[in-house]
Amino acid sequence: MLIRRLAALALLVAFCLVTGAAAAPPKDAMVVGLLAEPVTMDPPQITDLNSARITKRIFEGLVAQELGSYKLVPGLAQSWEISKDGLTYTFKLRPNVTFHDGTPFNAEAVRFCFERQLNDKSPYYATGTYPYVKSFLGNIASVEVVDPLTLQIKLKAQLAPFLQYLAHQSLFVYSPEALKKWGKDIVKRPVGTGPFKLDAWEPGVKVVLVRNDGYWGGAPKVRQAIYVPIIEAQARLAAIKTGEIDLTMDVPPDSLDDLRKDPNVVVAESNSSAAWYIALNTRHPILKDKRVRQALNYAVNKDAIIRDILKGTAIVSRGPLSPVYGPYHEESVQKYPYDLEKAKALLKDAGYPGGFELTFLVPESGSGMQSPVEMATVIQANLATVGVKAKIQTLEWGAYLKKYLEAPDMAEMSWNPSIGDPDHMMYMLLSSDRFPPAFNAGFYQNDKVDDLLRKGRTTVDEKARVPLYREAQKVIVEDAPWIFVDHGKQVIIYRKRVQGFKLHPNFDLVLTQVWLQ
Amino acid sequence: MAAVGGGGLQGYVLGRLLLAVPVLFGVSLLVFAVMHLAPGDPAAIMLGAQATREDVERLHRELGLDRPLPVQYARWLGRVGQGDLGRSIPLGREVLPEVLTRFRATLILTGGALLVALVIGVPAGIVSATRQYSWLDRLSMGIAVTGVSLPVFWTGIMLIIVFSLTLRWLPSAGMFSPYGGDFADLLWHLVLPAITLGTASAAALARMTRSSVLEIVRQDFVRSARAKGLAERAVVGRHVLKNAVNPVVTVLGIQVGTLLGGAILTETVFSWPGLGSMMVRAIQARDYPLVQGGVLLIATTFVGVNLLVDLLYAVFDPRIRYE
Repeated sequence: MLIRRLAALALLVAFCLVTGAAAAPPKDAMVVGLLAEPVTMDPPQITDLNSARITKRIFEGLVAQELGSYKLVPGLAQSWEISKDGLTYTFKLRPNVTFHDGTPFNAEAVRFCFERQLNDKSPYYATGTYPYVKSFLGNIASVEVVDPLTLQIKLKAQLAPFLQYLAHQSLFVYSPEALKKWGKDIVKRPVGTGPFKLDAWEPGVKVVLVRNDGYWGGAPKVRQAIYVPIIEAQARLAAIKTGEIDLTMDVPPDSLDDLRKDPNVVVAESNSSAAWYIALNTRHPILKDKRVRQALNYAVNKDAIIRDILKGTAIVSRGPLSPVYGPYHEESVQKYPYDLEKAKALLKDAGYPGGFELTFLVPESGSGMQSPVEMATVIQANLATVGVKAKIQTLEWGAYLKKYLEAPDMAEMSWNPSIGDPDHMMYMLLSSDRFPPAFNAGFYQNDKVDDLLRKGRTTVDEKARVPLYREAQKVIVEDAPWIFVDHGKQVIIYRKRVQGFKLHPNFDLVLTQVWLQ
Repeated sequence: MAAVGGGGLQGYVLGRLLLAVPVLFGVSLLVFAVMHLAPGDPAAIMLGAQATREDVERLHRELGLDRPLPVQYARWLGRVGQGDLGRSIPLGREVLPEVLTRFRATLILTGGALLVALVIGVPAGIVSATRQYSWLDRLSMGIAVTGVSLPVFWTGIMLIIVFSLTLRWLPSAGMFSPYGGDFADLLWHLVLPAITLGTASAAALARMTRSSVLEIVRQDFVRSARAKGLAERAVVGRHVLKNAVNPVVTVLGIQVGTLLGGAILTETVFSWPGLGSMMVRAIQARDYPLVQGGVLLIATTFVGVNLLVDLLYAVFDPRIRYE
């Protein structure tokens, strides 16, 4: 009996293996393995990267970013004019664009979408919660329809990054008719104008997008884009190596060398705007001394962390902005190479030749946090060599975020800004307007920096803006409110059959120009 | 063992169902308290670094998180009483259909694991018992001890490395192929997760079956059966197993709970679209309505399985009557 049963099981397994063994993938459908499934497909409610990576195929904003950079190019608006006082933006909209449900795209639709979030008396306000309404739409005074293809937005105050905000998903445009029809369930019924439209979403299993043949920019070459969630890094590695999926990210760093030698896959790497740093509490009795903070910067061996833990998937950070920011990135800042003698000398100067003790807050994992515990262990050992005893306290991400904003001595953080503007990195994290519960967790305050960053926010002319941010970086790096550790690279692995793929600095996976061999 | 008032089987079942009400009430209170008292804030987690104080406060107000906890609990419980589990905070979707869809996937996985446990565990236990102290017995019990001790996530990743990455026989993630699949495709995807999850239970079952069979084998009626010349296979199959089955069913019932719990890790390793992997994400996001709804569903299932196990005793052992 036992033997018969076992034989039956073996047969069953064999049957499954034979019938299930993957057939050759279709020539015009590609599979993307994401870290998790999307949370929501309602643009103004999106806060996570997985949702953004899918919905940015479905929806568009008035303004778009050129593939591969933060340069702004026309999106649903063909052109725009900014009034002399910097307060009125007039957009000429693209004619003959329709939403995926066939309804027309026009100025009224844009007004409807912004109004939904801005006006809590609007009948559609209650169809969602809008995490970014204050940050990104808070400065809008009015949205007016001039004619069906002309829209005028008036701001309360000048705000330089506003055009970049319009390229963010929270200001994307969706079909008003779809929202009226689905109400709160709009989260799973996305209707946009983009190159792809939603075909099916099986929760936890996959999201299937099909190309929009009537796309104004020309239909994409790929007929179907299928997104599957693969939570475990090892499983993503297996899936990309066996060709179950065509494109993925975040495989175990140890496997990258092997992947680079694999003739069937391409490992694409590029610098990103992300910053990984340790916020230092500038109000702490010891850390308030700039020399101490500089000493900590000298004491950490960033090259070793990048080489041994991150396996080369990052570059050393010399300040808050990575080189991705182009003209805004300042190269000639004070450098903090690994230099124990300098660190010791600075500590001695500051009156702590024997070192001191600190609590070091570390998350177990978390969005963009790379290898937080391993990195903390190395940093702890580095600091110990100059006599600074950092006691590591590890927390789960949700609890960590709370503790992070309660004035820890020193705490790890990583920030991958969704807006391609230096303001979104520097003002958000280092202005004294942004003390906790906002994200300047170390209470860094320098009047000159505050002044430069506030000026930067309101200076619309790029030529006049660039020097402000470059100057601010010099001051900030010298003040060392953080231990500047690294800027993570984005690493995307894809099968050779995927052609024309290009990385975008904000981690988006653009598929419009991709074709399959 | 199960004398609950008059009314026979129906009355017994009704009584047990009534008893489930305070149990589920307790569960609801516990999960609400644990989730809300744990540090972390769904609004802050959603908003991340670009949060402004106004945005956080507005979200709190809109999600009702600015109310005192007892008020929040009472409002939630009131809605649950009407069958409304609310909407997930970050997903914005209704909780009930969401958890039910996911639960189906978890049941498929748990079913597969249970099958693995039964097919491996029970025969191994019988073989061990009937050939006590043979090399076969030592081997299978050795494997059983190892099986019980292996953490699910380790077994899972090892199986992925061997069978997906190296041998390329089986898929490493998901319930269906990305391009869509049929029932065979589902089974193909089920093999590794079911083995991962079922191994520990197989080991527990094997040990229970062995000791249960050993106890029966030594009894007089078995000697009589042998004495009247029955073949060994008939002795074991017809007489021993029938009497050894109840403790095994008990363990099986307990294993269902263990499997539902273990499924959380297995689902995460294999990206199985079940309730477990969803709960992990929901807990990380402090998605209160979803976690609470999910736990209630799991607790209800567990209560149901326990009742079923108790009713099964009577099927396997006619001496047990519920009256």
